[in-house]
Amino acid sequence: MSFYEKKCLIVVLALISIFAISSVYAETDEISEEELGIRKETLYDENKTTPVYGEPLKEEAGDSTRIERAFENSPPLIPHDITGMLPIAQTDNICMGCHMPEESASSGATPIPRSHLFDLSTGKDLKGKLDGNRFNCLQCHVIQTTVSPAVENLFKGEFRDEDDRYRSNLIDILNEGVEED
Amino acid sequence: MLFSRRQFLKITAAVSAATALGISVPDELMAVAKQTQAGWRWDKSVCRFCGTGCGIMIATKNDMIVAVKGDPLAPVNMGLNCIKGYFNAKIMYGSDRLSEPLMRVNGKGEFDKKGKFKAVTWERAFDEMTGQFKKYYAELGPKGISIFGSGQYTIMEGIAAVKLIKAGFRSNNIDPNARHCMASAVVGFIQTFGIDEPAGNYDDMHHADSIVLWGANMAEMHPVLWSKITDRKLSKPDRIKIVNLSTFNNRCSNIADLEIIFKPNTDLAILNYIAREIVYNRPEAIDWEFVNNNCVFATGPVDIGYGMRDDINHGKFSSSELDTVAMQASKIISRDEAHAMSSLGIKAGSRMQMKNAKKPGKHWAISFDDFKKGLEPYTLDFVAKLAKGDPDEPLDEFRKKLTKLVDYYAAKDRKAVSFWTMGFNQHVRGSWVNEQMYMVHLLLGKQSQPGNGAFSLTGQPSACGTAREVGTFAHRLPADMVVANPGHRKKSEKLWKLPEGTLNPVVGSHYTKIMRDLEDGKIKWTWVQVNNPWQNTANMNHWIKAAREMDNFIVVSEAYPGISAKVADLILPSAMIFEKWGAYGNAERRTQHWKQQVTPIGKSMSDTWQIVEFAKRFTLAEVWKAHKINDKVTLPDVLAKAREMGYKETDTLYDVLYANKEAKSYKWPDPVGKGFFNSEAGGDKRDVEGFKGYGFFIQKYLWEEYRRFGQGNGHDLADFDTYHKVRGLKWPVINGKETRWRFNAEYDPYAKAANHGKFAFYGKALKSIPKGDLFGPKGEEKLNLPNKAKIFLRHYAEPPEMPGSEYPLWLCTGRVLEHWHSGTMTMRVPELYRAVPEAVCFMNPGDATTYNVKNGQLIWIESRRGRVKSRVETRGRNKPPSGLIFVPWFDERVLINKVTLDATCPMSKQTDFKKCAVKIYKA
Repeated sequence: MSFYEKKCLIVVLALISIFAISSVYAETDEISEEELGIRKETLYDENKTTPVYGEPLKEEAGDSTRIERAFENSPPLIPHDITGMLPIAQTDNICMGCHMPEESASSGATPIPRSHLFDLSTGKDLKGKLDGNRFNCLQCHVIQTTVSPAVENLFKGEFRDEDDRYRSNLIDILNEGVEED
Repeated sequence: MLFSRRQFLKITAAVSAATALGISVPDELMAVAKQTQAGWRWDKSVCRFCGTGCGIMIATKNDMIVAVKGDPLAPVNMGLNCIKGYFNAKIMYGSDRLSEPLMRVNGKGEFDKKGKFKAVTWERAFDEMTGQFKKYYAELGPKGISIFGSGQYTIMEGIAAVKLIKAGFRSNNIDPNARHCMASAVVGFIQTFGIDEPAGNYDDMHHADSIVLWGANMAEMHPVLWSKITDRKLSKPDRIKIVNLSTFNNRCSNIADLEIIFKPNTDLAILNYIAREIVYNRPEAIDWEFVNNNCVFATGPVDIGYGMRDDINHGKFSSSELDTVAMQASKIISRDEAHAMSSLGIKAGSRMQMKNAKKPGKHWAISFDDFKKGLEPYTLDFVAKLAKGDPDEPLDEFRKKLTKLVDYYAAKDRKAVSFWTMGFNQHVRGSWVNEQMYMVHLLLGKQSQPGNGAFSLTGQPSACGTAREVGTFAHRLPADMVVANPGHRKKSEKLWKLPEGTLNPVVGSHYTKIMRDLEDGKIKWTWVQVNNPWQNTANMNHWIKAAREMDNFIVVSEAYPGISAKVADLILPSAMIFEKWGAYGNAERRTQHWKQQVTPIGKSMSDTWQIVEFAKRFTLAEVWKAHKINDKVTLPDVLAKAREMGYKETDTLYDVLYANKEAKSYKWPDPVGKGFFNSEAGGDKRDVEGFKGYGFFIQKYLWEEYRRFGQGNGHDLADFDTYHKVRGLKWPVINGKETRWRFNAEYDPYAKAANHGKFAFYGKALKSIPKGDLFGPKGEEKLNLPNKAKIFLRHYAEPPEMPGSEYPLWLCTGRVLEHWHSGTMTMRVPELYRAVPEAVCFMNPGDATTYNVKNGQLIWIESRRGRVKSRVETRGRNKPPSGLIFVPWFDERVLINKVTLDATCPMSKQTDFKKCAVKIYKA
């Protein structure tokens, strides 16, 4: 089976599973309100519920493993511990120390891609300088904890090129499918 | 913007091609070729989440979303999104998506309030819903039914809902969750300018020198706007000054030049300090030409209560609630309040009776001298001591900061923009504090110009476009009209083709009052649309009991089973944003439309379809007969007039409101929808219970009919098709052109037409007011204020509940970046869930020591109303000063609204979710 066929199969399976959920409730005859939703405990007594605990990933920057992107050009998640790296302040952005393209070769960190080195409002190539709009890294890139998802998600992201599972080609496809006014 | 978007497209294309030379990175042509090969279709859409209104591009394949990217053509965000924006891709695919109606039934399959849920057909669901409706409508009339609407409705859904309940059922009991979010902003606008919505736009961020945040954590709640501000700051670090005023340290402080941590509610005093400093010590900063031409001074009563129940001994209060709710009737004036209101002769220790609790919005014109007199007590000495929110900060430091704040506003050579959101709006004096913000900008003449203006940011994606402009509120009609105004009703009846006298003139129950009415058995049937009232409403222990223990029928339309669905009697599965055609209007008055991208999941159907199908079950004879509303008002029987208009008594509300002759003239298929589905108009491959589509373009009909309300009175919108060719337009849209700065004759055709010089505050509401002095109106004479704005004198007041010996801490609630509202969508996106899986209790490390709890430990947070468990976080992104904790409300397992107080701004009826008193202890 070619990769493309495999992807088609995944999509078909996803579709099947989506239609399958429509029958989940039908199969079980009756559903109590506790069975519905994320909180499975009664609403009427707080003694019976406890918030989940999310322990942040402990791997240190440099030792961590990259997390596959959710779909083509989705912002990569932070796979390492960020204790001591915050806040990102006006004069101090510690993320850039490892992730700017010129640093990433030696640090091994995922390099900030070219889309971030452009001023998208003017189309100006910032010649290797980070666009100020992209300075607040945590706006798009978030840490992960070890909890299992509360609810399974049936979305299947597509990668038209296998390499895009771990990199951005956004600047190349930014205008793809975008029609002018 | 230096380059047009068109130019930009060419530039990036060229760059892409150039860099591709000799490198194996695919160039754009190759990418396009690949797109065809992979079978992706890209189309423009809008983010589902906040009021920023970012444009997104959605890729679909085989009827599923496969990717999302920022829309590089969208002026709002120019290709950039926040984490939630990108993960729009996954929000529809949680595996517990509701796919069939679920109803509580007994063993025989009959509806049973105490039964468990069972899947039923749409037909069965509508049958029960209709039977229950007719039972309670017969018992209680139009007052006994209600809709919890939304600032997340598409504009067309909002119209459909308002038409059904106001024109069809003749009830004004529809109120959106936007009541919890924007109502104080609305009152501020209407009282000050006579028309709703912000004057400025997002370009203000590129022009301003001073950017001041007041209770708006934009870094988390409006991240893309914050990225613009950050870029502006970094581009001119010495010139641009950012101030973050908040009751706790948050991410905005990291980019700000000045952080001012103030005590809850003292923003009222700080704003008066700014005005006092200007008026007394820097009079040259006042733009007298602007003030004289465009403004008058005004004030109103101070004894207005706190929007709690009028009956302070209501039987449903628990004994622990009684001391707080008693404040609604009267309160002992504190020393700080007495000093602040000394111009009114109010003494410390005296009891203030809340005589104006029923008429909190009345106001009258005063002289500048009176205004000045009222400000006199708000000296730096008084305000710094009162307002300093961090006990560990030296008073001198804080005083210096306040002075600097005035510098940043008042300097003649600095353009200043102020932003606020829930910190101001969710405030027991929210309407006042909004008005005070305009007070500062109007005094300085820094309003309605590029880079100068007080800018109320909106929380929800269509709080402005739907909730406010369409008027899905208990007192409103479309385009800023109100039900209490006979002229407005008449105009609406004409545009909706209703017999004269159909619309109900009595204001309905606001959002929190619908909950109270359910608890009192005054409302017995309600329908929840596009929001989650049983998680978002303060003091929720009362409301979940009311839902489950009272005689009533609760319908919840939802995509996922959230808390409201759990307490419902009937759950209807709703199609989500990209499964329907729609439009949102954002915080800068920009309307953006999108097309349906995919078929809805399971048997879920859009809210529009649900509303329209329900309408089929009512004939005119059932609803347009006479209804007694109260001792003074009986709605007339309008059936005779209806017959004269060509309607038959047997016509259904569907025939009259949604499938009339005009509606059917909007044909489907339509060229604008070429290549796209329209499940409502044309049905879809699922053929849900035989539904083949209405055969006409219902969304386009609703749009075209609706926009007639706004034409010619400052709310003009373009035709339906135009919005499918552009990246949104800021209303009013006149001759195809959007309006960038409202009230400014250079930019706003209405202001120009007013012929009132450079500015015209042309809003029409509340423009005839009495004259008076600080103590009240004097005489019968009315002052007419065409084209003028009001500069309000308002005073510092304490909230009804403050920390004391038993409950020693302030509780503030809010959101986090990764989750939207009650989390029903974002908690089902694994990346967002894993990032922030729980609502923690942000706390000062000193308080943790004081209360003998540790970071990471589970604690109880308890108020007079209820308690929940949460985990202590002393090192998180929010760093409260000692004496205050912050808990987000997205987490179903940390239902913090069991703890909060349902006091509201008495004018806006918006709940203050930012302050009540709690204690904490180990769990």
